[in-house]
Amino acid sequence: MSKDVIVREITIRASADTVFDALARPEERVAWWGRESRFRATRMESDLRPGGRWTMCFETPRGPASVNGEYRAVERPRLLEFTWRPSWFDSAESLVRIELEESDGVTHVRLTHAGLVGEADRANSSGWLDLLAAVQAYVERAVADGSTTT
Amino acid sequence: MGYQVGNLMVTMHQARREAVFRCIADPTRRRILQLLRRGESSVGDLAGNFRMTRPAISKHLRVLESAGLVVARQEGTSRLLTLDARPLRVVHDWVQDYEAYWGETLKDLKRYVETQR
Repeated sequence: MSKDVIVREITIRASADTVFDALARPEERVAWWGRESRFRATRMESDLRPGGRWTMCFETPRGPASVNGEYRAVERPRLLEFTWRPSWFDSAESLVRIELEESDGVTHVRLTHAGLVGEADRANSSGWLDLLAAVQAYVERAVADGSTTT
Repeated sequence: MGYQVGNLMVTMHQARREAVFRCIADPTRRRILQLLRRGESSVGDLAGNFRMTRPAISKHLRVLESAGLVVARQEGTSRLLTLDARPLRVVHDWVQDYEAYWGETLKDLKRYVETQR
């Protein structure tokens, strides 16, 4: 498993349609995306179709921030995939994929955030992943040694 | 944004972090870093692995040096280069912060859908 892919899963007691709408409809999205005083989604613009653009704006104690991207897949209620480009980090564009699977009235949500660092050059990403593995090894060793010498 | 991601934005040395990411976004620079994992190398030996000119390689090396990823020392007439992987820690931390961020975001989604909606 490569280190620049994140997978997170959760089970929600609701239909996949309900969960999909909470994710995809701007007025619902801004109602829940935020963490109290730290940041809060204030506005979302969304052209919900493959190739359509989206922007989500935030208030933070440090001022406004935003994330934008482009929808890659919109298949209500099973799949939502979009690129992710944060305003606070100019060199990154990555890909978020959210898969919903409903059974017996609950929906299993699987979120994958991929290409966190290799997006700029996918052709060479195997080389990058190798390097990231080295970083991992380095960090773990440094922690084990209690030192930071290489 | 994001508790964790927001903290990154606030607490990290932004310029230095950007410099590290800019280094690794480039395939030639990633290749240089990988070659240096084998150990110290002269600029000439390093350049032998690439089809580009030596001045072009030197330019990449300056970028890597300014981010602290490559350390150079002079021995006689040759410049010897070594890898310092420590600045790459920001990349590792950044990925980990996103893990926490998405975990929290999914919990928020669950809470909203199950209770507030």
